[in-house]
Amino acid sequence: MQSALTKACTIKIQNFEGPFDLLFHLLEKNQIDIYDIPINEITGQYMEYLFAMQELDLEVASEFLVMASTLLHIKSRMLLPDKKEAKEDEVDPREELVMRLIQYKKYKEFSKLMKEREDKWSRVFYKSPEVIQTSQDDIVLDLSYDELTRVYEELLAKNKKKKNNTTGQMAQIVRHEKVSLKSKMKEVIRALLRKGYFAFSELFSLKCKSRMEVVTGFLAILELSKLKKIRLEQKERFSEVLIHRTDTEIQEDEVEDFSAVN
Amino acid sequence: MEIKEIESIIEGLLFTAGDTLSLQKISDILEIDKKTLKLILNNMIVNFQNSKRGVIIREINKGYQLCTRIEHYDYIKKLFEPRQKQGLSHAAFETLAIIAYNQPITRAKIEQIRGVNSDSSITRLIERNLIREAGRLDSPGKPLIYEITEEFLRCFGFRSLGDLPRLEMNEIQND
Repeated sequence: MQSALTKACTIKIQNFEGPFDLLFHLLEKNQIDIYDIPINEITGQYMEYLFAMQELDLEVASEFLVMASTLLHIKSRMLLPDKKEAKEDEVDPREELVMRLIQYKKYKEFSKLMKEREDKWSRVFYKSPEVIQTSQDDIVLDLSYDELTRVYEELLAKNKKKKNNTTGQMAQIVRHEKVSLKSKMKEVIRALLRKGYFAFSELFSLKCKSRMEVVTGFLAILELSKLKKIRLEQKERFSEVLIHRTDTEIQEDEVEDFSAVN
Repeated sequence: MEIKEIESIIEGLLFTAGDTLSLQKISDILEIDKKTLKLILNNMIVNFQNSKRGVIIREINKGYQLCTRIEHYDYIKKLFEPRQKQGLSHAAFETLAIIAYNQPITRAKIEQIRGVNSDSSITRLIERNLIREAGRLDSPGKPLIYEITEEFLRCFGFRSLGDLPRLEMNEIQND
């Protein structure tokens, strides 16, 4: 008995775009009338193909597997007629597949036709629309000297309002705030030295004005927790998280050593 | 107004409009009924086609547009930098065909007919403005439905959807 691998070498492994392509190939190869497909034979050959592809380590797209199961399903239905169905209503289990095959073939043919048409009609040029500027009737301006000065004064007043009077007084442009992890860690330690513990949410109180501060504060807590300098506790689900001192002695200046961790 | 005069004006309008000019718009401008105009335009289309004129009139989706002759492509293309038009893949053509014949149609239905995943084809076709989203189907999941665009008609030389060749689904020739 030939192994699937040997068979694969004899079968030309073509690049099938989809399971329908493969099926059509098999139908053609075996010169089968699409209206009377020998399901057993076709299913067998189809599966052989899949196995061969898998053995050669070719990726088998999921669509092929779906088709495989469809074929097997049809095959089983043909082997075991449904006793419940009346003899007259017997639907050929292959019918749906055949219709889909025909439909697929039709679209394939049509696509070829489309390609030809596209090639043909891509050889014409069109003109883009004219940009038409409607000529504006020159509005006669009713200008007098007074009118001109009035307009100018209005403009000056508007500008003055817009101007920021503190411009000259600013020493520098707002700088990107740098919140160091170290300073935040110091802050946490300091708070813990004052009172034995505090709530997680307190960290994000008035002291923290910017997003940077909040994030760094959070990172500080994580870092300290990792170093086992603090302990986190939550009494019940969704309740406040409490940050405790651990028993290890922390000195404020110990925080200097934390820089090594960073 | 004499017919010759009307034809002249229409030609000027089509030239200036560039894009497809609808029959309705021509009718509004000239203040002539659409039925008469359609006859005149059909006549013009035939005349332009048969004469040696360098431009022909195309009917696309109830609108009209001037374009150059296919035969003259090799000359006219020299006016431009070579156009690198990336072609559509085989898969995209199939997807396009299915949409054209079944519109409006959902992604799932397209995949059912093709038997393979069609996401990339659909994306590509939308990029090329050959299909567009046409709302959602009133069924569970409210899936998007697709239909072809005017650009599709222009690219493939159809006047309207009715121009698509009939696909006989009942039989196929055995190759």
